[in-house]
Amino acid sequence: MTDNFSRRDFLKLASVGAATTAILTGCGPASRYVTREPYTQMPEYTYNGQSTYYATTCRECAAGCGLVVRTMQGRALKVEGNKNHPANLGKTCVRGQATLHGLYNPDRVQDPAKQSKRGSRDFSNMDWDAAIAVVADALKNTDPAGVAFLMGMAPDHLFDLVSDLAKAVGAPTPIRFGALGMFEARATLGKAVENLFGQAAMPFFDLGKSDLVFSFGANFLETWLAPVAFTRGFANMRRGGGHGRGTLVHFEPRMSQTASKADMWIPITPGTEGLVALAIGRIAAEARGATSAAFENVDVEAIASASGVSAEKLDELGKLFASADAALAIPGGAALAHSNGLETAEAVLALNALVGGLGRAGGVLLAPLAPMQTEFSRPANIAEMADFVEKMKGGKIKTLFVHGVNPVFELPKSLGFEDALKSVGTVISFATFPDETAMQADYVFPDHHGLESWGYQRVAAGSSQSALSGAQPVVSPYYNTRATADVFLAAAASAGGALAQALPFKDEVEFIQSKLVALVGEGDGYFGAPEINTFTAYFQQYGGWWKTVEELSTPSGDVLGKAIKVGEAKFAGEGEFYLHPFVSPVLGEAGANKPWLQEVPDPTTTVMWGSWVEIHPETAHELGVDNDDVVLITSEAGAVEAVVYKYPAIRPDTIAMPFGQGHSAYGRYAEGRGSNPADLFGEQVNDAGDLAFAGMRVKVEKTGKTYPLARLESRMGVYGEALGEEH
Amino acid sequence: MASEKHNDHAHDHAAHLREKHLMLDPLPRGQMNDMVMESMRATSWKFWVVFGVLSVIVAVFLFGAWGYMIANGLGVAGVNRPSYWGIFLVNTVFWIGISHAGTFISAILRVFKAEFRRPFTRAAELMTTFGLVQAGFSIFMHMGRVWLSYWLMPIPNQRGLWPNFHSPLSWDLLAITTYLLSSTMYLFLPLIPDLAMARDRTPDGTWQKTFYRVLALGFRGTEGEWTHLRNAMNIFAWAIIPVMFSVHTIVSWDFAAATRPGWSSTIFGPYFIVGALHSGMGAVAMVLAVIQSRMKHMKYFIRGEHFEGLGMLMLLVSMAWAYFFFNDYMVQWYGGDKWTQQLLHFHEAGPLGWMWFAMLVFNVAIPWVTLWNKKWRSNPWLLFTVGLLINVGMWFERYIIIPISLTINRMPFTWRMYTPGVEIYLGIGTVAFFILLYMGASRLIPLIPVWEVQEGQMAHSLKTYGRETVVTVSELE
Amino acid sequence: MTIELKIPEYSANWAEGEQQGKWGMAIDMDICTGCQACVAACAMENNIPFVGEADSGYGRSMHWIRTERFWEGEFPEIKMTPYQPVLCQQCGHAPCEPVCPAFATVHSQAEALNLQVYNRCVGTRYCANNCPYQVRSFNWRDYERPEPLPNQLNPDVTVRRRGVMEKCTFCIQRIHRAQDQAKAEGREVADGEFTTACAQACPADAIVFGRIDDPESAVSKLAGGARGFHMLEELGTLPAVTYLKGG
Repeated sequence: MTDNFSRRDFLKLASVGAATTAILTGCGPASRYVTREPYTQMPEYTYNGQSTYYATTCRECAAGCGLVVRTMQGRALKVEGNKNHPANLGKTCVRGQATLHGLYNPDRVQDPAKQSKRGSRDFSNMDWDAAIAVVADALKNTDPAGVAFLMGMAPDHLFDLVSDLAKAVGAPTPIRFGALGMFEARATLGKAVENLFGQAAMPFFDLGKSDLVFSFGANFLETWLAPVAFTRGFANMRRGGGHGRGTLVHFEPRMSQTASKADMWIPITPGTEGLVALAIGRIAAEARGATSAAFENVDVEAIASASGVSAEKLDELGKLFASADAALAIPGGAALAHSNGLETAEAVLALNALVGGLGRAGGVLLAPLAPMQTEFSRPANIAEMADFVEKMKGGKIKTLFVHGVNPVFELPKSLGFEDALKSVGTVISFATFPDETAMQADYVFPDHHGLESWGYQRVAAGSSQSALSGAQPVVSPYYNTRATADVFLAAAASAGGALAQALPFKDEVEFIQSKLVALVGEGDGYFGAPEINTFTAYFQQYGGWWKTVEELSTPSGDVLGKAIKVGEAKFAGEGEFYLHPFVSPVLGEAGANKPWLQEVPDPTTTVMWGSWVEIHPETAHELGVDNDDVVLITSEAGAVEAVVYKYPAIRPDTIAMPFGQGHSAYGRYAEGRGSNPADLFGEQVNDAGDLAFAGMRVKVEKTGKTYPLARLESRMGVYGEALGEEH
Repeated sequence: MASEKHNDHAHDHAAHLREKHLMLDPLPRGQMNDMVMESMRATSWKFWVVFGVLSVIVAVFLFGAWGYMIANGLGVAGVNRPSYWGIFLVNTVFWIGISHAGTFISAILRVFKAEFRRPFTRAAELMTTFGLVQAGFSIFMHMGRVWLSYWLMPIPNQRGLWPNFHSPLSWDLLAITTYLLSSTMYLFLPLIPDLAMARDRTPDGTWQKTFYRVLALGFRGTEGEWTHLRNAMNIFAWAIIPVMFSVHTIVSWDFAAATRPGWSSTIFGPYFIVGALHSGMGAVAMVLAVIQSRMKHMKYFIRGEHFEGLGMLMLLVSMAWAYFFFNDYMVQWYGGDKWTQQLLHFHEAGPLGWMWFAMLVFNVAIPWVTLWNKKWRSNPWLLFTVGLLINVGMWFERYIIIPISLTINRMPFTWRMYTPGVEIYLGIGTVAFFILLYMGASRLIPLIPVWEVQEGQMAHSLKTYGRETVVTVSELE
Repeated sequence: MTIELKIPEYSANWAEGEQQGKWGMAIDMDICTGCQACVAACAMENNIPFVGEADSGYGRSMHWIRTERFWEGEFPEIKMTPYQPVLCQQCGHAPCEPVCPAFATVHSQAEALNLQVYNRCVGTRYCANNCPYQVRSFNWRDYERPEPLPNQLNPDVTVRRRGVMEKCTFCIQRIHRAQDQAKAEGREVADGEFTTACAQACPADAIVFGRIDDPESAVSKLAGGARGFHMLEELGTLPAVTYLKGG
């Protein structure tokens, strides 16, 4: 035998063997991951010093920006924007840049684990088979009505899978929530669009082609909806296209980062944004010589005195708005977080109708639905979350699955989510990081980090093209984590029966492909493919699939036909100050555990590694507090301590606090740092069910403690402190 | 009777002059030599207690803290952006300043034949050498990677690089090294006869004998040896004066050659030299007061006249310093540069404005008020106090020039106060080390240059002409 | 073997009116939204350590780029001055260069940049004192990166140890990468072929980087416009960074 075995035969056999191996491994799940190797023992296929780039989707918020991640030898080195991606056109925000500090965070959950007692932090590791058995058991042996899924705003593929799963089990529809959605007042925006235009959709604000933008509380340069896309739009507006340099007017009680870029910042009395919009509407209508029923009965003088914006200023603003070529009014954020928030949103949107801004370039349009999306969807508002918490309290929920959201931290404390968890039989968290909710769970079955994950995300805002952003692992999982989708699929398979039939997928990728099939052969795509495997390959290569044509639609409806009423904002609680919470522009809702994000200074205050309360210097003087003094802020719902930052650009009757810090878990960089304004929030909602987080009055008391805030700025150089010229 | 009275008067006057002036109050040479030897050997237990405490301070504060800083980085000190230098450089400039007094007193007064210098030239020269050692410690301490400090030396190396001779720090290094070497030699030359004297008065078989024998270089006091020694001392005395002036001028260029507001001042060179003399004189006064009161027989050698002369010099230097300070301030203020204006305002009205006023009080007001009076300035302890205050004031001056002026730059966004950290201990360590070296030296080498005193005494005599007793001096050398 | 010691050139030798430098940057302050994406992008690209709360509050943060802003006026007429990202200006006549005794900060004749040679730095910090823009940061300590954070480190960029000065390099590793690529393909580096980490991240495209010696490049056109100015121009440092004033 050996005698006859020629060199030629050997080569034949060897090549067949190699090809077989390649085919077998190449098609199996193994090839889906890049192996991490030490630099000293590199596999043959990696060239020394050559990087590999993978397109994926950012998971730091739900906007769905496309990323291209540079990797080398299986390590992710740098995140860049995906140039072709319609949401961000190659750009990233600060949180996207720091996502690698999440991936390689030293405090990730490393193994599936069971907690001996909720909150005890006494975890004992399990193996994944046992973990899947726990999930399967929960799915099979719980009364379907008692199974609840609480999902984050990203990723969408998992939400789709869980929705299918819930349907198959007969469980209630999964609930989605995210603090950003709450602060953005997404539900209010959607509801206002529905009320005015008769169609639920996400509005598309065409900043880039506008020459005058009136922003009512919308922090579109910070965290609102799709900050990267809006920043691009803002830059284009400033560059001016055909119009010349565009003007931004921002209405907000505090100078936010967005307001700081405004040509005019109007420090308006909280809750009067809608009224001011009406006044501007009336003046603008008069200036344009048009009569509109919408603004007919508006009393400008009364609004001037209520809002603190003088009648002359309103007149100036109204005429300015009327005279612009492409004026745009945007409602958002804290302006909608009042009892009259929905009316405010409607009044502001109506301003666009008045100047012919509906459907016009540089005006308000309706964003297209994402591919494979049949109707507008939004995360749960606080009213719905309150119902959900009630259900939990009532013991109706036996098993709760939590993924991609940290409700213990993000929900207003007054809702009592943490308490309600006690009435839930089994809590299973799929947290990547040891967040507060995971600490209150019975099991933590950690999902991969976003950069280790497959998936897709629908681009809801900021893109004029219908877009589905694709995610793929850029590195192999660092820890013993498992994709939550795979866990559910494996659990469904082991549960058998209808469940296994409803989800007959080998793994997450097969599930995603089953959804993407719908796009094969779809026209106007960035790429096309004849069959699903090729399509999936392109989908990974390009980082998603999107239309090459704009699909914005023109809102219609008789917006100006009837009078728009904006009621007076009701404020909960007593106290001499309005509370104005905002999302930290740097940390967002979940950035506190990333050390470099902590060290990035806040744009307006330059504070690093901490949180603060902004108080006007004169107010601080009256209260007898100074910079770095700790004050106690008390609302009707709770109290927190915060460090004073004397902020010169805030109304003296308002105090402002960033959301993002104040974690009691979530890793070494986040834990025990700053305070969480959500602890102050009550349960007052607006007509769209969104939390009226800005509709609160609070008391401020000196505690006598001090805590030095780490600032990048020099208090001497910027405020003249210690130079005898203090403001 | 009348003549007796007159004689008495003359006698009193002569006694008075003798009491006052060391040069007119000669003792037999052997006795004087024994007194100096005894002053070295008479050591009380208190000396050793202080010596021990200082040794511990040096070990912990200087070497311990430095080791800690090397291991952990400069983060354990208080330096930050924008005060990148801090107390390290304050101490460096301060110690170089202290070191100036030695040369000034020894070389300049020697060159100008100021007779009152004779008993304390050595004490002053020791300050030069020991002060420079502390300055060296301070500057090496401040380096981020001190283990690579030899890279600053112009020595052949595999990196194929000279140090950057454009950098004032390179000039500094060369100047300080030159000064240290030349001042050490200048200390050593006049020491040789005294070492020989000590050798001859030390019993055989002791390690001290060996020490003195080796260091005395076989000096026997022959005519030829003296001639050579005198020539060498003369050359060095003349040569070291420009070195001294250049050193502190170059130190001032570290600041004056930079682009910082408050630093780029053309008058910094002489201003720094006068400042150095100011603190140096003060330090000499302090050392003399301590030596006089603590060491045996020193009341004979160091008298009111020395403090009086020193006090006069201090007053003069204080006036010069005041002039340069005013000049520097005036020109910077008049320049009208907005950052410099901001800085000057910050000096006076900033959080450490008290330091600026204290500097003026200590450096100008107090010397001017106290040193006018001949009687007052003859008092050792008053001079000690004034010297101490001047040194504090001069340390403040350097503190104002370095960390406080660094606070204000052209980027107001980065202004930040400096809070010292471990460098405080390091500073205390250098002070302790200085005193320790001095105490050690006082046990090993004659602090009084006996031969110089004797030489002076031989040249001076009291002669009575009729009713008058006058001091006569024979031409020396 | 004899070692020939040499004194490197440290300063650009441009005459008045000559084209200045090779790489340049234009920053439009009217468009910059202060979002800090550049700050994070720079940190991620250049292996910049984070220093923690106490040190960062004490002026020891390591940012190579920072966004400055001041206030003008009093409430309610108060205005924030435009955000100004401040980074190493890559001066043609850099005050930092001549003062370094160890030649750790030298002028690159090839790239017309201020180089910082970490290996040569002995930490006198004179350069930082003399930098009018205060853009140099010093490694006051060995800053900790707990495992597995070091996985993220960019292998193209040296990780600095304690006692060493550092500053913005105009992402010189990217410049070299692009030049190597262009050389391999036998051509010149084209404008816009690559960019620095800060410019690449900037969502507003307020930072534009490119060949300042090419009058047709995007950066040259922006920098040459009427809105352009140099920071602390009166010092004659010839910065390669041009700021564009508000519109």
